[in-house]
Amino acid sequence: MFQYVGDFDNAFAFSMLDQLRRHMDRAFDEYDRSTHATAARNYPASNLYDTGAAYVITAEVPGLTEKDVEITATQDVVTVSGERKNEVPEGYSVHRSERANVKFKRSYALPARIDPSKVGASLTNGVLTLTLEKAAEVKPRQISVRAH
Amino acid sequence: MDKMQKRNADVENVRQRPAVAPRVDVFENEHEYLIVADLPGVKKEGLKLDIDDDELKLEGTRNTSEPGALVAGECRAVDYRRTFVVPEGVDREKIDAELAAGVLRLRLPKAEALRPRQIAVRAG
Repeated sequence: MFQYVGDFDNAFAFSMLDQLRRHMDRAFDEYDRSTHATAARNYPASNLYDTGAAYVITAEVPGLTEKDVEITATQDVVTVSGERKNEVPEGYSVHRSERANVKFKRSYALPARIDPSKVGASLTNGVLTLTLEKAAEVKPRQISVRAH
Repeated sequence: MDKMQKRNADVENVRQRPAVAPRVDVFENEHEYLIVADLPGVKKEGLKLDIDDDELKLEGTRNTSEPGALVAGECRAVDYRRTFVVPEGVDREKIDAELAAGVLRLRLPKAEALRPRQIAVRAG
């Protein structure tokens, strides 16, 4: 990286720092960052989709089943909370421990209002899927064009 | 020139997604090693376990289907891949894998002794 002493003008110096940062990012890319420091503030890792009539939120919660999560919804916000305790099984010694205990409570503010009475939730393979039907007045409506 | 064309063709057909190493816990007691790995979204059909020599390769692929237009995404569209070195003295025939709730539990029982294996002789 620092090959030529003479190459130290301003723009180039910054681009080298940039390169260093990219190398470091790539090193971390090799590992699952789901409980990385910044990501931990936003546990679980989630995606928000818009199907037109509903919002769908998927969240990665490995190790949790239906009884481990609690979901509450209002018109604008959906809150998911849960806990996963990773106890060391009895009688075993620990060689490596990368999976953290998590206790989380995360609220998702939605771009438009939803109908809290029509929320569907399913949890399979450690992925929680929430289907949030939009409030009737917010659903996109088909506008038909009259021929003249 | 031909080799370059072949290489380009291979590049087009490779569907591999980037892979990250899943987080694991490794435990041990007198009977076995226990590896617990977080593999959210991986189903039994997407899980591959291979032992080659002293390496245990774990690969979990997942089908992340998009239910609609993505508004905000934090989940990386990645598969999981990790290789472990299997210590000597593990009974490979009895390795057991259980996948539930996106968590894989791999049990590697320790062999009591290096037992001699029966070798069947075929009449030739």
